[in-house]
Amino acid sequence: MNSMALEIRNLAKQFGDKVAVNNVSLQVPSGSFYGLVGPNGAGKTTMLSMATGLLRPDQGSALVNGVDIWAAPHDAKATLGVLADGVRQFDRLTGRQLVTYAGLLRGMDREEVATRTEDLLRVMDLGADGDKLVVDYSAGMTKKISLATAMIHSPKLLVLDEPFEAVDPVSAANIRDILNDYVSFGGTVIVSSHVMDLVQRMCSHVAVIDGGMLKASGSVDEVRDGMSLEDRFVDLVGGRGTSEGLSWLRTS
Amino acid sequence: MVAHLLRLKLRLLGNGFKRSPWQLVGVIIGGLYALGIVVMLSLAGWFTAEQSDLRGWIAILAGSVIVLGWAVIPPLITGVDLTLEPQRFVHFGIDEKTLARGLILAGFISIPAALTLLAALGFSTIWRLDPAVLVVGLLCALGTWLMAMFACQYLTIVATALRGKRRFRELSFALVFLLLVGLGPIFSTIGSNADSIVEVLKPITSVLGYTPLGAFAAVPGALAAGEMGMTAIYAVLALVYLIGLYFLLTGATGKATVTPPAAQRASTAKGLGFFKLTPATPAGAVAARALTYWFKDPRYALSVIMVPMLPVIFYFAGGSTGSYTMMLLLGPMIGILMGFAISADVSYDNTAFALHVLTGVSGKADRLGRVMACFVLVIVPLILAAVLPASLTGQPWRIPGDLGLSLGAFLIALGVSSIASARYTYAVPLPGDNPMKTPPGSGARVVVTQLATFGIMGVLLIPTLVPYVTGWVLHSTLAGYITLAVGLVTGSLMLFLGIRIGGKTMDQRAPELMQSVMINR
Repeated sequence: MNSMALEIRNLAKQFGDKVAVNNVSLQVPSGSFYGLVGPNGAGKTTMLSMATGLLRPDQGSALVNGVDIWAAPHDAKATLGVLADGVRQFDRLTGRQLVTYAGLLRGMDREEVATRTEDLLRVMDLGADGDKLVVDYSAGMTKKISLATAMIHSPKLLVLDEPFEAVDPVSAANIRDILNDYVSFGGTVIVSSHVMDLVQRMCSHVAVIDGGMLKASGSVDEVRDGMSLEDRFVDLVGGRGTSEGLSWLRTS
Repeated sequence: MVAHLLRLKLRLLGNGFKRSPWQLVGVIIGGLYALGIVVMLSLAGWFTAEQSDLRGWIAILAGSVIVLGWAVIPPLITGVDLTLEPQRFVHFGIDEKTLARGLILAGFISIPAALTLLAALGFSTIWRLDPAVLVVGLLCALGTWLMAMFACQYLTIVATALRGKRRFRELSFALVFLLLVGLGPIFSTIGSNADSIVEVLKPITSVLGYTPLGAFAAVPGALAAGEMGMTAIYAVLALVYLIGLYFLLTGATGKATVTPPAAQRASTAKGLGFFKLTPATPAGAVAARALTYWFKDPRYALSVIMVPMLPVIFYFAGGSTGSYTMMLLLGPMIGILMGFAISADVSYDNTAFALHVLTGVSGKADRLGRVMACFVLVIVPLILAAVLPASLTGQPWRIPGDLGLSLGAFLIALGVSSIASARYTYAVPLPGDNPMKTPPGSGARVVVTQLATFGIMGVLLIPTLVPYVTGWVLHSTLAGYITLAVGLVTGSLMLFLGIRIGGKTMDQRAPELMQSVMINR
């Protein structure tokens, strides 16, 4: 087994004259629960898109379980499950059809897909909504069904971009349990999030990215260095305003 | 407040052009075309001014068409630019009356509205012979235009409220589409039965003059004819309609600004549907997904409706000209059009295409699946369309040739489309959007891509066309069989190559395709 589930080497991407990701290298050890945090527009989604084969990098490479995703995309994607942020689903399918579709696209056989689809719908609390069209799902339900499509082929590495956004607390807790379980049996998870508290509680490792550059990475305890992750994050990223900002907002 | 909203609308209009140069090109081409129409209409008005017995009802007809057009087309078909949708202002505590007034005025600011006003004013030159009537005519043109704007906005609000139900939305497209497609045949039937168009239209226009559609337009005609009583009646009716509509509109706009959007009723589908029927392979899965979309997604459903509609149109067209030769070309037409229908597949997927990229499904399986879905759906109607016309008209010698050309056209179209959709994407209506709505300014690129696609299909079809035409001219069954052989061989070859090349293109360009669909969302 490869010791690095994801190895990002010097990835860079420029849109026009805006540098979105600036020469980032990152190593995600197998079996880790890796948090990726950064302010809005820091380049998290761009970096994950390049690491998962959705966006061709200007430079650099990404190795998924030791396989370069840009040199051998088919092999790399076989062990990778991705929840992309800001993309649609084939939402005229029902939830059950969508998960089945993802499984069949991966070339799995029908019985296996059917069993796993029912399991996934059950753990995502979508059992009763499996026959509803995804277009009628709420934002949180759509997240959950997308997560199911990313997990059906039991990947070794899960890359989840904002998995908890709009998900209700109960479902979020259920998803966390699933992910923890997955990690404890050797899987690797990368989540991007804005919620520091969540990352601190859930993740074993964390990377802070800002302005397209890697500010810090390592185990959560190393990075936060005795502070809370949130304070450390603000420290690294800067940009906190002073409390004098909106004097007129004081209502009394 | 009102000035604020107007500025906002102008800014939105301006920013719309900034998005891409292509968009600007499209808008300019479209604008020139529309200006051309405005000039033509003005000239038409100028030159009919001397037809004193006709101009009255022509003016009513023109006015009614303007109002009816605005009342029906934007709310139901093209969709309105809803950047200033009243419901977006739910959260702002703006006085309802002020907001309604501002929104109504802002609704006047659009290119089509400006062009319509120009056209209406230009057409008023129909009254140029008498300056007094001309002044009234210009005022009434303004009135007609206001009526059109109000009607459009009012019906849009009503339609938006109804559209909360997706079923209604999808049904309404289909109905309006069928109606539009059917209009031609209906008119051609009426036209060929009446002695002259005038006799059909005259009684209609005299009624229209009393309705909101034509009341304004009827005023100058009555004045020019010296009928003061009628002039007064029309004028009063027109003003009453306009004021009434205004109050309805302010009421509805005000109400819409405080009413949250209606909740939708979720629709369901039992079980796995097509996924149970197709082979459990990646290509089979793509085919099942595509088939589901052919039926569930109105953007595809429109293509499906075309299949039964084409014969009907051709039949009526044949009825009015007395020759049913066109019917013999049904098969090839359906073949080309339906094969072409999958050429924008990736554009239609929009960012949902990410699933294909992320799962690493091979380009070949992706192409093959989409072709399979279209093939399964079309093949039976296609064969019927190829065989029936010849056999029903008692020309069985045509059957092999018709069949050859139809199948050849279909297979070639599928092959070419497989490459086109892996290489080119363009702005299409988004999933869930009104399928008739073309994103503004997408024009030039769409036209170029589609023309090129059709052109290549035409060139590839030449080897099949040669024996087909020979057979048609010589009434030769042998040439027909040659057509069948050539059509099947070249068609299968092109389809094979199309899937291969298209698959390879997709494998290489999947991330680029993904980025190009990200732009249009």
